[in-house]
Amino acid sequence: MLPTRLLRSSTINASEIAHFSRLSAEWWNERGEFSFLHQMNPVRMQFIREKLTETAYDELPEEAVNARNVKILEGLDVLDVGCGGGLLSESLARLGARTTGIDASESNIAIAKHHASLDSRLSQNLTYEHAPAESLLQDPKRYDVVCSMEVLEHVDNPAMFLKTCAELLKPSGHLFLSTISRTPLSYFLTILMAEKVLRRVSDGTHTYSKFINPSELLEFFQKYRSPSPAAEDQATQIRPWITRLYNGEPTRKEAEIRGMIYNPLSASWILAPRGAWGATECNYLFWVRKPALIDAISS
Amino acid sequence: MSLLAIGSSASRLSFKSLRNASLNYPRRFISTANEEFDVVVVGGGPVGLALASALGSKTELQNSLKIALVEAGDLSKIRDWSPPPGTFSNRVVSLTNASQTFLQDIGSWKHVEKERTAPIEEMQVWDGVSDARITFSMSELGLPASSDGMARLTETLNLQRSLLRHLNITPTVELTDKSKVMSITSEEIPGGWPLVHLDTGRVLKTRLLVGADGPNSPVRSFAKISSYGWSYDTQAIVCTMDHLPKGPFLSPNTTAYQRFLPTGPIAFLPVSATASSLVWSTTPSLATALKASEPSVLARMINAAFRLPDVSIRYLHDRILEAHQSGKPITDEEIKAEISWREQSHSIDRTSAYSSVTTEASASPGIPPLDAEMVPPTVTSIQTGTIASFPLRYNHTEAYIGEGQGSRTVLVGDAAHTIHPLAGQGLNLGLGDVECLARCIHDSILQGGDIGSYTSLLPYTQERYFENHKIMSACDKLHKLYHTTSAPVVQLRSVGLEILNELDSLKAAIMMSAGSVSRTDRPLSYNSDTRAAMFNLAAKGVENIRTAAHVAGVVKSGLAGLAANVLQNLAKAASSAQQEQRKDV
Repeated sequence: MLPTRLLRSSTINASEIAHFSRLSAEWWNERGEFSFLHQMNPVRMQFIREKLTETAYDELPEEAVNARNVKILEGLDVLDVGCGGGLLSESLARLGARTTGIDASESNIAIAKHHASLDSRLSQNLTYEHAPAESLLQDPKRYDVVCSMEVLEHVDNPAMFLKTCAELLKPSGHLFLSTISRTPLSYFLTILMAEKVLRRVSDGTHTYSKFINPSELLEFFQKYRSPSPAAEDQATQIRPWITRLYNGEPTRKEAEIRGMIYNPLSASWILAPRGAWGATECNYLFWVRKPALIDAISS
Repeated sequence: MSLLAIGSSASRLSFKSLRNASLNYPRRFISTANEEFDVVVVGGGPVGLALASALGSKTELQNSLKIALVEAGDLSKIRDWSPPPGTFSNRVVSLTNASQTFLQDIGSWKHVEKERTAPIEEMQVWDGVSDARITFSMSELGLPASSDGMARLTETLNLQRSLLRHLNITPTVELTDKSKVMSITSEEIPGGWPLVHLDTGRVLKTRLLVGADGPNSPVRSFAKISSYGWSYDTQAIVCTMDHLPKGPFLSPNTTAYQRFLPTGPIAFLPVSATASSLVWSTTPSLATALKASEPSVLARMINAAFRLPDVSIRYLHDRILEAHQSGKPITDEEIKAEISWREQSHSIDRTSAYSSVTTEASASPGIPPLDAEMVPPTVTSIQTGTIASFPLRYNHTEAYIGEGQGSRTVLVGDAAHTIHPLAGQGLNLGLGDVECLARCIHDSILQGGDIGSYTSLLPYTQERYFENHKIMSACDKLHKLYHTTSAPVVQLRSVGLEILNELDSLKAAIMMSAGSVSRTDRPLSYNSDTRAAMFNLAAKGVENIRTAAHVAGVVKSGLAGLAANVLQNLAKAASSAQQEQRKDV
């Protein structure tokens, strides 16, 4: 069960923000502190591409999907929550998404803006904003895709953070998350080896108790129902985001969990196949889809 | 593995002029409006053109890639190249099946003039000192005899022209020839992109700068990538040789021959029924002397180099060098007389294929001699204007990707590695680089990556650096191994070669890794030929257990011979020591 401290209005942890602000100049050094994230980026994008292509083939005529082979995100509104230096945001924008990157650290946003300004191809559809995710709820704008990569394990109130992300989505929108499981293996790899022994990542980047297991995310979305559009038909008529599990796995159309495995020899990450044994013991990607409007009310 | 590839004739820009230029051109260039590109390829040699073709042929990337290719020379000369039939350019490359498949995939192979290319169906390689021989043939690879050979000899110009024709119909690539790169700088802001200043005043700003600009790569000096290597103190003589067609009872002219002389390997590469290409690596002084004498002397020396024992070849070389030093190059009559005398003294039968002067047998249409397939056809003349030579080097850069100030740069082909031509792998390695780099760029774009970033380019280095290094050092070791005449080394290498000749599956494996079998990057879609070849390989493995027993015999006799040799040498040394002692007394 995710810890819930619902009383607080923000999920931002001040010491986490200070930590990343200190490191912000390092964001675009591909061989430095954040090299793991740079190497992880292609795999995250691969997962986003695969999942969006898969759902597009389910819903659109084949030719329409084939036609946007490269720019799979063309015309979509995408929000990157906790964009850091903009590693993921830039990639999303290159694939055609109208991308908004937000981060709670002002220096991160400054770095991200500077780096994006170097690439004229990005100027048209990439904007950055120094804002917490909660503040966007006041704005009526909702997104087709919300991504929040390697953020969940740094926020104070994950349940509330997930709710915020969920509410920022349009109906049938996609939520992509990546985070770390709370297992002995993940402690060994991400804290003991990466931070203490090999010192590839600054000490204090991760906090073991904040790691979140895939089963906890599944549990959350099995219970989570979007607030009803019409206030009078209350929650009874709206299905939860994940209706049921089969052998502990969600269905392909509702949610998916995929492990990411680091290969130190080739210095690259691999997207583990669906259901690969033990693959989600450390870093993993999570996708869940907001129910469509009709779907949500009728079922 | 015998054939050759000559280094790509990428634009050679002098490093000196580059450095001066960067001093003379202050910042005012930076203030002018820069044209922006995603990829700028410097160098219009085969490797640079192939990269532009490969990237341009990916139609789905059309909106994501703006490509420019910069070349100092005039590419229209190559585009309009139309030599008379029967004459061939001296720069040929043996394109492995892997390279051909790649060129087919990008759509440029169909523009190659097939009539001017020739398949290689067999290779004969032998030791210049011991005559130990190894034969590679199609049947051993398990390829059907009807297929396209192990490799295809293609003139470099023919390949370049095909790539240019293909680029003509590729709208995404901007070809800029007759434009010299004056200097390369980078934007003066943190994380700035490279700027390529051309002598026409244009400044190209690029996300990714590709150095396909040959061994003295200006892109490499901009990126401050160091390289290590050595020169071989060897010159390669190249020319196109005319010879008579092979007789009616012989195989067609599709066999490549290579003999490892102690001065360097000499290779005979068929390009048509009556013409073949030569690559002869030898000492710089001999190369100079041969180029200074009449072409017919070179023709006679080529024939002799494939036929006479090493001792006679050394004698002939000395004669040519003496004559050259005295200022009177040796005449055709003189060299003919010398060779004829050497043939008689070695009692080479006048009907044998090993005689090139004494006999006219090769011209008669009768039954060919028994050993006719052991040596290449007798060379009758050298095509005019085709004799040239160039120095040989080994060079490998320490990295293929630039970092820090030189980031967003990547090296391909000769800019990254220069290799001894003895295995004909130079340009094939370059095309391998291009295939891999184009794939990395494609994958990176699909994942929204920045193609100039270290992360996007890392898979390219990871895949190519070791692969290239492996083949480069193998060729280097071969060169050094065959450079010596020391008896124990000769004996060991001959035994080694003979063992290798017996082990079919090992040979097939060597040829596979040399690219004779076309390889696809998708491991699950092996074409049926490859699968058949693999299956044959496995079957041969079983057969080889039997052969191994036979090989053990060979090794035993070889080692026995070696031991005997060592003993002999000891005895000689002892007796000469005794003699000296006697003298002292």
